[in-house]
Amino acid sequence: MVEAVQVQLKKGVLELCVLALLSRGDAYGYEIASRLAQGIEMGEGTVYPLMRRMQSDGLVATYLVESPAGPSRKYYRLTDVGRAAFETQKTEWTAFSAAVDAILGGAQ
Amino acid sequence: MTRQDFISRLRAGLRGLAPPAIEEIVADYETHFVEAQAAGRGEAEVAAALGDPDRVARELRAEAGLRRWEVERNPSAAANAVWAVLGLGAIDLLVLLPIVLWIGGTLLGLFIAAGALVVVGAVMMVAGPVVVHGAPVMALALGGLGLIAAATSLGCIATIVSIGCTNALVWYGRLHMRLLKPALEPQGAV
Repeated sequence: MVEAVQVQLKKGVLELCVLALLSRGDAYGYEIASRLAQGIEMGEGTVYPLMRRMQSDGLVATYLVESPAGPSRKYYRLTDVGRAAFETQKTEWTAFSAAVDAILGGAQ
Repeated sequence: MTRQDFISRLRAGLRGLAPPAIEEIVADYETHFVEAQAAGRGEAEVAAALGDPDRVARELRAEAGLRRWEVERNPSAAANAVWAVLGLGAIDLLVLLPIVLWIGGTLLGLFIAAGALVVVGAVMMVAGPVVVHGAPVMALALGGLGLIAAATSLGCIATIVSIGCTNALVWYGRLHMRLLKPALEPQGAV
């Protein structure tokens, strides 16, 4: 069960990271993948299933843009639902991490 | 692994999904390779960073199966979702399979029993008075109706239990989605 909780935690955090990235501006798949790979060392292959899941949850929408480098890029943008989810999750995360920090700090 | 290996293994793993969905997914990864190469990265390196294409495919298929069950609540979608979760390999099959088979078998038995009771009830109502001369028509009709009613409620209960079991399994499967697990592990280990 501990493992399952960890997986859930990571899943939640990854979604939050993608929401945060997109809240600052639309991005295409590779951009998201490489930003997250740099930032939190996640496997790049993870991004696409996650984006599909978020798309079918209605958090993001896609549109295609011609690219000079080859096939057209699929851009993701936050929907209103996605924006609301970002605000909620951000608040939850901030409160949660502050609480954890307080406990960790108190233990020293 | 080359780009071609990755894509063909991914494509093979996705078999069974709707063709447009497969094309979309494959296109995502194709574009990823193109973009990465434009950024000066080698094919093998990109493929390694993407992870195991078989696992990517399994998880995408499982997610599709689970979603279908959420949208259309019918036996075929249920079977699909159950197999998708089992296919994840996230759950210890040796532990789960006997349980699934046992529950599935019991439920199937209940459905068959319900079906048989309906038939018996109908025969009793319709054919009873003809076959058995001088039989009390009213009693046979009421008895037949009673049997059909009992069978219907048995069928309903079995259906509700089936839906509950499938939901529980889907929930469990989601908890164990593995794809995101290697995500936070060091890149080299993938």
